[in-house]
Amino acid sequence: MLGKRSWVASLIVASLFFFSCSKDVAPTAEAPLFAVPDHFPPPHYPVDVTTMSKKTVELGRQLFYDPILSVDNSISCGSCHHQKNAFSDRELKVSQGVDGTPGTRNTPTLSNLAWYPYFMADGGVNHLEVVPLVPITSDIEMKQDLLGLIKKINQNDHYRTAFKVAFNSDSITSQLLLLALTHFQLTFISSDSKYDQYVSGKTDLSAIEQEGCQIFEQNCAQCHKPPLFTDFSFVNTGIDLHYTDPGRSRISLDTKDSGAFKVPSLRNIALTAPYMHDGRFNSLDEVLEHHGIDIADVKRVDPRMKSMENLSDTEKQSLVAFLGALTDAKFINNNRLSN
Amino acid sequence: MKKLLFIAIAFGVFAITFSSCKQDEGTEPTPSNTTGNFDMKVDYQWAMQTIIPFELNKPLYHPMSGDTLTYTTFKHYISNIRLKKADGSYWTAPKSYHLMNAADTTTLKVHFTNVPTGEYVAMELTLGVDSAANVSGAQSGDLDPINEMFWSWNSGYIMIKAEGTSPQSGTGNFAYHLGGFSGDNSTVSVRELQFPSAQTVTINQTDVPVIHVLANPARLFHSYGSVSNGEDIHMPGAAAAQMAEDFNSWVRISQVQ
Repeated sequence: MLGKRSWVASLIVASLFFFSCSKDVAPTAEAPLFAVPDHFPPPHYPVDVTTMSKKTVELGRQLFYDPILSVDNSISCGSCHHQKNAFSDRELKVSQGVDGTPGTRNTPTLSNLAWYPYFMADGGVNHLEVVPLVPITSDIEMKQDLLGLIKKINQNDHYRTAFKVAFNSDSITSQLLLLALTHFQLTFISSDSKYDQYVSGKTDLSAIEQEGCQIFEQNCAQCHKPPLFTDFSFVNTGIDLHYTDPGRSRISLDTKDSGAFKVPSLRNIALTAPYMHDGRFNSLDEVLEHHGIDIADVKRVDPRMKSMENLSDTEKQSLVAFLGALTDAKFINNNRLSN
Repeated sequence: MKKLLFIAIAFGVFAITFSSCKQDEGTEPTPSNTTGNFDMKVDYQWAMQTIIPFELNKPLYHPMSGDTLTYTTFKHYISNIRLKKADGSYWTAPKSYHLMNAADTTTLKVHFTNVPTGEYVAMELTLGVDSAANVSGAQSGDLDPINEMFWSWNSGYIMIKAEGTSPQSGTGNFAYHLGGFSGDNSTVSVRELQFPSAQTVTINQTDVPVIHVLANPARLFHSYGSVSNGEDIHMPGAAAAQMAEDFNSWVRISQVQ
């Protein structure tokens, strides 16, 4: 059995980590295929070092960027998850599937996935390995039935050899395909932003970023909890009264979760516009004009939503400057993650 | 060094988690040097008419709802087969996940090997797929999502899939995909089934007993009633849980050959 879970302990250990705007001196470590950054909690996904190798990661990289995964061989994972935008899709509110079919939600950024207890804006996917099944088989994304995909890949000489080399297996199963994609995505670790360098004592924040850091700590950090900048809870920001997307309630079947979505990580947030589950806001300034201010659904709004109304324009600028310090240039330029 | 430490912690944590979640309802059977085999064969009966077997692509009259139902697909999972001895100890089949597909009779007979010889008084089985396998990521074999028994958008197995046509359906079709593995919406049942007439099953080195498990697809509609009440179920919920419970609770062992 490949999926061993250690989330209970992970949560306990994670709770020992707390947010701080002050420095903490920690030694640097060389980064192998997968390593837990010093200031991160233990990951949720049980990384299996016995099957994960350079070869499985490289195979996953090829698959991630190969349109073979879509029904008409037109789009790959990388068509909507652009590395330069921290693996989000910058140009579009919602991305387009095969034949230009529009999606329903804004393409999420991909980083630090080993720390996620569940996936998608509604948390419907419970394990990293099975995430790719959604975009691959969805009618509005790659529209490729799994059986057809496995046949297609098994008929491909390159992949037959690559899977043999990576997994020592003569046949390519969906399990191995999903493992290869998982191993590649496990290496999407963003932990070297200016903020990270600051907390590990390698650099200083500017005065304005420092001020933004304090505003963040007081207003945002409860849900956007460092170092992952999300607590993975489902939050209704209160901005809508009627819901075209049921959000978490689609999974929980509880109407009180209508319009609640998983708190998104703010890592590389300056690169991942447009914002919110449907991409309705084009800039962070626009987000701050509404987030916690426009409350239409007073019944369902999360009690932790803090109004940004009392923040002065200067304070909002500081906050945006701090969010800019979450941009990880090394991550978006890492050749090992590129096509 | 950090990495090694992490690995050590991860393994430690796994060991703790694993041991605390381990089901331990009985002691293992007394070690026996000899083993034998048996088969589990799943048969279907339609409603109360034992002489009318359940068949795909054939109109079947449902005596309670009055519907005429033609099944084109009937698939369901049986997992975690265990045999129980009189002293309360169990033999547990390893990696025991079996997809029954009425359209493919070879799937309806499952062969079990390396069973310690002796006399067994009951068989335990899980109707559906246990919750652990629903949260364990990419699986293979009968649990491979290629079998179209896995929901990608709401991770979890479809435990029972019944599709077909009916003149009583508004659309002419019906499709019941029953899944959900936790809480009130669980569609999974663990059942201990007695052998008929207080019989026991002897596993020895020469015979291969066939344990016939009988299921009744008409039971899906026992509480649900007519397909006109809703011709589709595609998500976990109260309706799916009730349908699955009505099907699961009827399952029995009809005979041992």
